[in-house]
Amino acid sequence: MSQDNFLDMCPTYKSGMDGSHIRAKVIGVGGAGIYLIDGLRFDNFDAVDNLALDVDLRTLSDSLASNKVSFGRRHTRGMGTGGEFALARRAIEEEKDLLRKQLDGVDLVFLLAGLGGGTGGGVAPVVARIARESGSLVFAFTPMPFSWEKSRHAQAEECLKDLRKHANAVVPLPNDSLLQMGGDDATALECFAEASRNVSRGISAICKLVFQKGMIDVDFAHLNRAFNHRAGRTLFGYGSGRGQDALREALRSLMLCPMLHLPDVSKAADTLVIFINGGPGMGMSALQTISEEIRKEFKAGEHVVFGAHIDENLGDQVEITVLGVTDLGPISSSVDVAPSSGGDILNATSPTKSSHPSRLVAGPAKKPKAEKVSAPQKKQALGVSQNTFDFMEDGNQRGIFDNLPDRNLYDGEDLDVPAYLRRGVKISV
Amino acid sequence: MSKIIGAVEIGTSQAKVLIGEVSESQTLSIVGMSSRANEGMRKGEILDFRSVASCVHSAIEAAEKMSGTTIDSIYLAQTGTHLQGMVLRGSANVSSSDGRVTLADLQRAADEARRRQPADGRSYVHHVRMPILLDGRPVEDPVGLIGQKVELIYWSIDGENAAIQKNLDVASSYSLDIDDLILSSVASSTIVAGQDVRRAGALVIDMGAGVTDIALYRHGNLAYTGVISVGGDHVTGDLSMGLRVHEPYAEELKLEYGKALPDEADSGEEVWIIGNQTIGDRKVTRKAITDIIHVRIVELFEIISKEIGELLDPKEMGGGVILTGGASKLPGIEVVASKVLGVPVRKGNFPVGISPEIAKPENASVLGLLHYALEDHGLPGETKKETSFLGKIGGLLGM
Repeated sequence: MSQDNFLDMCPTYKSGMDGSHIRAKVIGVGGAGIYLIDGLRFDNFDAVDNLALDVDLRTLSDSLASNKVSFGRRHTRGMGTGGEFALARRAIEEEKDLLRKQLDGVDLVFLLAGLGGGTGGGVAPVVARIARESGSLVFAFTPMPFSWEKSRHAQAEECLKDLRKHANAVVPLPNDSLLQMGGDDATALECFAEASRNVSRGISAICKLVFQKGMIDVDFAHLNRAFNHRAGRTLFGYGSGRGQDALREALRSLMLCPMLHLPDVSKAADTLVIFINGGPGMGMSALQTISEEIRKEFKAGEHVVFGAHIDENLGDQVEITVLGVTDLGPISSSVDVAPSSGGDILNATSPTKSSHPSRLVAGPAKKPKAEKVSAPQKKQALGVSQNTFDFMEDGNQRGIFDNLPDRNLYDGEDLDVPAYLRRGVKISV
Repeated sequence: MSKIIGAVEIGTSQAKVLIGEVSESQTLSIVGMSSRANEGMRKGEILDFRSVASCVHSAIEAAEKMSGTTIDSIYLAQTGTHLQGMVLRGSANVSSSDGRVTLADLQRAADEARRRQPADGRSYVHHVRMPILLDGRPVEDPVGLIGQKVELIYWSIDGENAAIQKNLDVASSYSLDIDDLILSSVASSTIVAGQDVRRAGALVIDMGAGVTDIALYRHGNLAYTGVISVGGDHVTGDLSMGLRVHEPYAEELKLEYGKALPDEADSGEEVWIIGNQTIGDRKVTRKAITDIIHVRIVELFEIISKEIGELLDPKEMGGGVILTGGASKLPGIEVVASKVLGVPVRKGNFPVGISPEIAKPENASVLGLLHYALEDHGLPGETKKETSFLGKIGGLLGM
């Protein structure tokens, strides 16, 4: 069965689903964001625009992005913000109309911004907010400064918290983990390049899902509904395999992906996007088995968006990309991002929507999370309106220290984050 | 008439209870002991009160059953990063006409020292008396000596009311009174660092699952205490993340293959992650395991060194650095500690006479509690509190 030709097996292949009316935009903000945008490799995505946004004219002029916008010249005279994110925020708030124009009619925004920098940290939350207000689905990929960059690190955490209020999913990319990305003797540059490739893979996986016809397809409305609630922690990973058992090999490599093994990464996902891209040899039943295993590995909730594409160029190779979020409940009604087009999955915004199964034990699904107060979780649950820590309430899903409300700070470093990550010791597994 | 005393340590990985019987001749024998895995705590602080309470209660029940007695009051160990130590001083002029120091003078000095109130929402947990100074000279017992001014110094530890209250509630929900709250590091020190060692100057590092408690002694007196919010669980967590395995496997790998000091052979050695021929099991090099542990342990001792600062003077550390606590069982840890701290480090020994089942590093605190209860911590000449009638002699414990 698994050796059958996919074309015969695939009911949706010619179903005419087409993302041509969907518009996507990749927005790079600040130095790190623009570095990432320049590293993106897109082929055949006419509907994906890009936009580089910075106060620093030099960064902009060096960028390969086709669409560049500078702002805040009045404040910085075309130079950087010097790490002051309040300054960048003030500057971008003055340019809201310009942003709105850029975001008009855009359905899907990929926001790339280093949160340790002044521009990235200050501007990204504003861009996310305005994008959401104008109806876009917003995925953010945000490089986080090294632990040893103490003050920048604290600032980045603040910005991350802020950004999470607005974006549909925020994937933090801690620089601490860079070293774990490359091979054993990778140089710093190679590690950065690998991180940038990972972002590229994530974006292109989602774009392929939405824009290209494949073996198992998902339309944009489906994706939009799946992510249409307040997102907490995210997980994001990539694995590849080749040869006879390529799918299984890819799953194994996915489970070892360093990006899935970081302190703030969720171990479970209420909403999970699985995208499998493979050569023509990929069989349907094997695909089903693997997708089932992936769901299980990430304790996926009811919102699973599964897509699989065949790429002749991949030969016997298979790539798996996953992006998942924990769910903090319905988004506030003031922000309405639900599209009017069809989609047949459960209504994600309904208050009866159940969350991750392990949370259901505590009470009926209808009960809003804020009211679910048990002794050890009281502190977190009460914090719902104050901060974003409510997504940490389900302690056993995650690492040993994840259910603690406060960071274990010593001298500006979080001691609960593994020492090898903070000290840059490469671990080969 | 013999007396029963109970010691309870609510540790992050285990709750431990010891019941001791002190005979009329002031010898102590341990008549009951039990420990229970504790799930409701992280880093020394109670997250899930009910789970911790039931775990402690079941440990107490088991120890009571074993001893054939019941306890109605306990010595309770205290730890957690909310605890903070500081020096309190008080002095009094000698008031008697003949110039001899009286107990009343000492009392006045003590009252003055303790007059300073902790910040809002905090209370004192433990006052540890340091030397008594008579006109600036340290003396053991100044009562009856001639002088003008006595000065008392305390190392006083205060902590957050909410955190302390949770501990007290665990005891009171089992209808137990508290004889005394004792700092874990001080308790451990009394068992692994004898008085001669403390007199020579020593640093005791009790490495638990959740936190690391430290106590520094100079000239026999406590000079510093601290709690660092890193313990054996961090090693497990790091391994889990670094090797991409679930925590229970990481814990097993730590116990089986963990060591603090990498060596050449580690690169060539491969170990199975799960090890029971499960499908999906894979191998990692032992180097990956030791590298992850090594950086964590080095960092922990660096933090300890930073915390203690100038007090870590090799010349004043004749007793050396003594490691105890469950996490100190990691092979090679004393070598790493010694390298970072720049003073000789050894693992703590227990006084002879304690049965080998009990004399383990992870029991240092709870054993120390009993030990501490036997020592006299009042003012010289003071009418001893009820608990202090036990005196200073502890036969079995080798005091």
